[in-house]
Amino acid sequence: MKSLPRRAWQPVIAALVVLTSAIRAQTPPANSAGAALSVSGDIPHALSLTASDLKAMPRTTVTITDQGREVKYTGVLVGDVLAKAGAPLGRALSGPAMATYVVATAKDDYQVVFSLGELDPAFTANDIIVADTVDGQPLFDYQGPFRIVAPHDKRGARSIRMLQRLEVVRLRK
Amino acid sequence: MSRTLLCAALIFVALIAVITSLSAENAFVWNLPGGFPAPRVPVDNPMTTAKVELGRYLFYDTRLSANQQQSCASCHQQERAFTDGRARAVGSTGEMHPRNSMSLVNVAYVGVLTWANPTLTQLEKQALVPMFGTEPIELGLSKPGSVLLERLSRDARYRSMFAAAFPDVSQPVTVENVTKALASFERSIISARSPYDRYRTKRDNDAITPAVRRGESLFYSQPFSCFRCHNGFMLGGATDFEGRSAAGEGGFEFHNTGLYNLEGLLSYPSPNTGVYEATRKPEDVGRFRAPTLRNIAVTGPYMHDGSIATLDGVLDHYAAGGRTILEGPLRGVGHENPNKSRIIRGFTLTADQRADFLAFLNALTDEPLLHDPRFSDPWTKH
Repeated sequence: MKSLPRRAWQPVIAALVVLTSAIRAQTPPANSAGAALSVSGDIPHALSLTASDLKAMPRTTVTITDQGREVKYTGVLVGDVLAKAGAPLGRALSGPAMATYVVATAKDDYQVVFSLGELDPAFTANDIIVADTVDGQPLFDYQGPFRIVAPHDKRGARSIRMLQRLEVVRLRK
Repeated sequence: MSRTLLCAALIFVALIAVITSLSAENAFVWNLPGGFPAPRVPVDNPMTTAKVELGRYLFYDTRLSANQQQSCASCHQQERAFTDGRARAVGSTGEMHPRNSMSLVNVAYVGVLTWANPTLTQLEKQALVPMFGTEPIELGLSKPGSVLLERLSRDARYRSMFAAAFPDVSQPVTVENVTKALASFERSIISARSPYDRYRTKRDNDAITPAVRRGESLFYSQPFSCFRCHNGFMLGGATDFEGRSAAGEGGFEFHNTGLYNLEGLLSYPSPNTGVYEATRKPEDVGRFRAPTLRNIAVTGPYMHDGSIATLDGVLDHYAAGGRTILEGPLRGVGHENPNKSRIIRGFTLTADQRADFLAFLNALTDEPLLHDPRFSDPWTKH
């Protein structure tokens, strides 16, 4: 069998190099393996969402300015995650349900609180998301694999990194 | 008549072309790394290559000290990321400075320039402090700087460089222009080529080890909370840039880390009492700026007075939530300092975590910067 001239292989090798680089660039951070986001509390269905589960849900991209630079985070509206767990949203978010809040807890035990109303897309236009992607890439180890991004907050303290749990608490039932 | 007009038009066009080419040649190009915003530059001192180059010559010139023994570079050495390796700096007359030399790397992004003076915000003004300051004496020049200006004016190289840097004035060799050139050079010292930068900006996972990644996660995690003072692309406090809004980014902060807790009115040893020196407010005693952690491995000793020799020692200080000094005039339990930042609460650090922290901090060294010819001593070439 006649072998291909050496030059003929060059485009193939180049394509393989590009493909390998692309695959490497998409390699998720080490801490995303098997990671899950749990949703619990005063909801009908407790959830444990994997990275794949979030990828399959409707996606939202928000842009924030971080020290003069625009950064795009992509993920799922927290409201959509809570709706999947059966939290009272939309028309159901009225009366006693208005006294409901969500505790977000990180791997390092950092916690922040949102009222349910500000997480409901039918209620406000906050677009607060559970992000798993920054500028098209997986989050860095220290951020992810999931984080909340509250794009309209003036300070970043509620955009909790290394998010592990969302707990819904109803003050009045 | 029409030939005259044509000649005039041609001369005008030629002049414009010359002016344009000169200004293009003199325009300074930042080549900022990814994630770095545009630095804030004073309107009356725009960056030009001529000013940056003049500033570089001045920075390394011992004629800037009265006794011609020291230059700016004596305390800001490139191979140490523009620090000096001493606990506290020593001026040209041998007088010891009360504080540790601060790095000039990425100083274009520093909103307040010294360890604890909230009013010193512009490099042009800061340069006057080492030049003419008397408490302590650093370069030891006397105001109004006639000796320095005479020395510089005698040098044909400087006459030419000042004229190129300040082409609009007939007498460009002035103290104000010396500070403008120095500030321009200092602003040009941009560092973002550390292994950690390659990981963060180029997504080069091979640039750092797993230990560095673990250290990064510890650095940004709640029990340690290092990021709360050393944050953003500078990994430091008081970061400023073009378009920064204090409302959005918060004000510049200073922190008492519990390094001392002396008995009496001043819990920190004079004259290093922190922001209190400027404000005389008791609550400002011991409050200092969080410096950048970029290149931190080559900028020891540490803290505002260089009183901790190693990064290991710094970790011990923060793990204890403040330093305890058992004997001598500085004795006291820093953990109990009444002004101590509530961020400094102490933590438990395992041997593995310590190693990961140190790996992370060591990955912040921009090795090419330490030898970059753009920032090196120009006098050694001639």
